[in-house]
Amino acid sequence: MRISVTRSGGFAGITRRAEVDTDERPDADDWKRLVDRADLRDRGRPAPDRFVYRIDVDGRTAHVGEADLDEPTRALIDRVFASGG
Amino acid sequence: MRCYIVPPHIMTHLANRQTDTDYRDRLFGSLDIDRANRQGRLRSVTIPPTVSATGAVPKRSIYDAGHTQNLPGSKKRAEGQGATGDNEVDTSYDWLGVTFDFYLKVFQRNSIDGAGLELISSVHYGRDYDNAFWDGNQMVYGDGDGRLFVEFTKSLDVTGHELTHGVTQYTANLDYQGQSGALNESVSDVFGVLIKQYHLNQTADEADWLVGADLLGPNVQGVALRSMKAPGTAYDDDQLGKDPQPATMDGYVQTSEDNGGVHINSGIPNKAFYLAATGIGGHAWEKAGKVWYATLTGGKLASTADFSTFAAATIDTARDLYGDSSDEVNAVRGAWDGVGVSA
Repeated sequence: MRISVTRSGGFAGITRRAEVDTDERPDADDWKRLVDRADLRDRGRPAPDRFVYRIDVDGRTAHVGEADLDEPTRALIDRVFASGG
Repeated sequence: MRCYIVPPHIMTHLANRQTDTDYRDRLFGSLDIDRANRQGRLRSVTIPPTVSATGAVPKRSIYDAGHTQNLPGSKKRAEGQGATGDNEVDTSYDWLGVTFDFYLKVFQRNSIDGAGLELISSVHYGRDYDNAFWDGNQMVYGDGDGRLFVEFTKSLDVTGHELTHGVTQYTANLDYQGQSGALNESVSDVFGVLIKQYHLNQTADEADWLVGADLLGPNVQGVALRSMKAPGTAYDDDQLGKDPQPATMDGYVQTSEDNGGVHINSGIPNKAFYLAATGIGGHAWEKAGKVWYATLTGGKLASTADFSTFAAATIDTARDLYGDSSDEVNAVRGAWDGVGVSA
């Protein structure tokens, strides 16, 4: 499973991107559970200086505003940034 | 109605110029109101219209989010209370005071909504949180990750920027996407730097025109997050990349990120404001700032305004304030020409 996250916006307006290919990883099952719990639907209205996330999971894409992130989706994003390059 | 674009403080200013009969007649003639009305209005504006506003005081409340993302957190400092010893709490309190003071003294605006709205800040938001924002009700500041960014409370212009998002919300309410979104961003940068210039008593020529000059981490190659004087030159760093802002329409960036690049394309109206302010000279908040403020708050600007619409509106405002062929109008028109925006 290939997961990528792009974070744009914020006061600084600096885009950050990270990607993880879980297939080769020993924790692939953990990643699958994280993805299953995440809400990968587009949501959120534009809001001043908030981050905007684009999440891609094997070609499936969701655009989510920071203010509308649920906890499981946030956990997925955090883990991609912590693990991915 | 046309007269709404001229707020009371400007009427006061104009009333002080009653010897300039031509000027006054041109202005009030354009309002399409009868002479009796005009006389009444002139009399009324010689009385300071903002006695209650100028006597206004801020109502500040600073909260500590405790490195969570739960707002507002626990209250650490209320209006009139002494310093807490928490640097971010106290800096936020001070910068909110400077920002409140700027809007009150320069534009006779009593807080964000013009009606004394409480100013609420939460600091220590999230962990390694590289951001600050206005959430529709309050300001929120992260401490930065300590490497790329330090505490977002540090720069006065950041507080000015966030509070101005509130002012915009209560006035023109520019849609936060595409060109109207870039204008929303630019207006926040404009008043953010004006507040800093006002605090330091700098003229347009003396100011650095930088946004977020105190936010970059110790090893980041750059001077700030944005430069209104030279968009695209604020930083060039291995980690952060290069400042992506264009200074003219030739460089306008089409992107789906960041609500259509609102923090990128804001470089274009930012540069236009810089050109207008330095073209006029003196303290930027006194004339160029007044033109931008009256345009933003005058009630005529559509929330979907694009760059051209906004440019034309600022020229109209400058004309109303300073006269058709004034140096100020020429400077504003020249500024938009200079960034390739046709008004």
